[in-house]
Amino acid sequence: MRDEAAFVEFAEAARGRLRRTAYLLCGDWEQASDHVQEGLIRVYVAWPRLTRAGREHGYARRAVVSAFLDHSRRRSSTEVPSEPDRNVPSGQDVAESVALRAALMSALADLPLRQRACVVLRYFDDLSVADTAAVLGCSEGTVKSQTSRALASLRSTFEGSPIGGLAIEGATPW
Amino acid sequence: MVNDLRELLRHNVASPPHDNLDLGAVLAGGRSRVRRRRRRLAALSGTALATAAIVVTGSLASLDARPPDFAAAGVPRPDAPMLRLADAVAAAEGTDYRVLTSYTNEDLDRDNGQYFEGVTDDGLILFRDGPRMDQSRPRFALMDPASGEKDWLPDHDIGQAQTWPLELGEDRLMLLAAEGGMKVELVVHVFDRERRQWGAMKWPSLPAVEDPFGAVLGPDQRLYVPVPATQGRPPKTGWPMGPDGEADDADAAGDTYRLWSASLTDISDVRNEGLTVGSVAFTDHSMVWTDSTNGDSGRVHVRDLETGEEHSFDPRSGEKCNLLSFGATDDRIVMGQYCGTYDGGVRDDRVQVLGTDGDQVVTLQASGIDGALTSDAGDGLVTVTSYESDGAGTYVYDLDSGRFLRITEDVSSWTTSGPTQEGQFLWNTPENMGRGMTQHLGELID
Repeated sequence: MRDEAAFVEFAEAARGRLRRTAYLLCGDWEQASDHVQEGLIRVYVAWPRLTRAGREHGYARRAVVSAFLDHSRRRSSTEVPSEPDRNVPSGQDVAESVALRAALMSALADLPLRQRACVVLRYFDDLSVADTAAVLGCSEGTVKSQTSRALASLRSTFEGSPIGGLAIEGATPW
Repeated sequence: MVNDLRELLRHNVASPPHDNLDLGAVLAGGRSRVRRRRRRLAALSGTALATAAIVVTGSLASLDARPPDFAAAGVPRPDAPMLRLADAVAAAEGTDYRVLTSYTNEDLDRDNGQYFEGVTDDGLILFRDGPRMDQSRPRFALMDPASGEKDWLPDHDIGQAQTWPLELGEDRLMLLAAEGGMKVELVVHVFDRERRQWGAMKWPSLPAVEDPFGAVLGPDQRLYVPVPATQGRPPKTGWPMGPDGEADDADAAGDTYRLWSASLTDISDVRNEGLTVGSVAFTDHSMVWTDSTNGDSGRVHVRDLETGEEHSFDPRSGEKCNLLSFGATDDRIVMGQYCGTYDGGVRDDRVQVLGTDGDQVVTLQASGIDGALTSDAGDGLVTVTSYESDGAGTYVYDLDSGRFLRITEDVSSWTTSGPTQEGQFLWNTPENMGRGMTQHLGELID
């Protein structure tokens, strides 16, 4: 039996975080919502066996990342980040904040898809190398090498720019 | 100044705009997908034209190596002359069929590739390239199967839309596409082969639909579009759990649609046909439809397009059968069905072939197959893909002669389909450890 009430409760609780991950991957909030929707549909399909195994959260993240990767493979291409969100928090220098956001999203968009996914999963979702490998369906060695390359690219993008350099706390990719 | 990556990432998503995600749509999509999962194999042909890159999510390795014992599993026998996969004759290339051309994509996991989209009336293959990582929109060519030479068509900005061939004629090519999100508007891209010019048609007064599947071209050169009317609901207590641990939605209530049509010459000429249908198919002389689809099919109706006379019949499909694919020739009606999962995870998948008066011609019953009428030219061919490990492969059933041939013993994770000439069929075989595929165009030898 498919417990839809439990699924809805889970989806309500998880959608915000999933959407943030999806946004960092694709650079567009609307597209992020599409990826979350697709990911949650996949979760719904697998729901009975996920809840038996208690794996719904991990599966949902993987489903959203897969939806993003599938979409990107199918539709091409490198997503161009949308205009940076102007709705910035108060108390900050707006121009600087917008520039930083735009710089980060642009640098992420320049990364190959899987490198981008490694960065987002490792440094936004705080997944371990092993968990990242499980989400992406690749080896831990691949995650390490992809992350390492991604961080090098990000650092070089920020290096010497007026908005400052980039530090990555605990930046060893393993 | 130094910026911390973690902080930047979090800061960038600290104030997201309002989320318009509709959980109702998620539930509807999930329910529909559960039902389709039952037919995930059928989706390759039921929505055969949907994509050449649908990845089958199952693992063949998990399938039992022995052929399923239908009687022991308690699977009911169809009320019709019956075929099993084992009845197929292993086809010999050069004797039973010939390969007209092949094309290989080595690694579709890495990037999108190139696909056969169908065969034109003058025997050329519509060949689609992309969209790929370094090519943001698809381009099309007409490929000579004998030489492999490609005549690339002028660029046409269709964005990244998926297209489905409606007509591949000597004078024009017509490709159906959809624009929008949850609700889409249909667009037909038309290529005038003599002028070598693209154009596009949209119908402002045609209701939006959920997806382009089911839209068909009638012999009167009108596009017939099923517009959602009612959606079959799961039981209040939810779907029962099948022996494989999945919700079993066999014997589902079907979906219905209001049938609309649109002229291909006058975009203001759009009409509600005043008919509620499930699946619809046309032959040159008749219109054939069911009461509902993606669940119980109800009755089958046949309308003679010249006289307007109609008759209908009970197709006598199994009690639990969900209609997944539907096609017709002037003499035959082909219905792909999922009819439940039984002990040991044995699936009751069927391809039912009927005469136009409802006579039972033959029903192929197997576990883990999808099948559909893939060529309605001439007497028609049914292509069946089997994922039974003992009988995996592509099969072809000739509606004219009743020949049932096993073409391959391999199953690719992708699908290839499109309209073909009489006696022709498309299939593919896996390459590169399943990462790629080779597509083939073949034809039966009489």
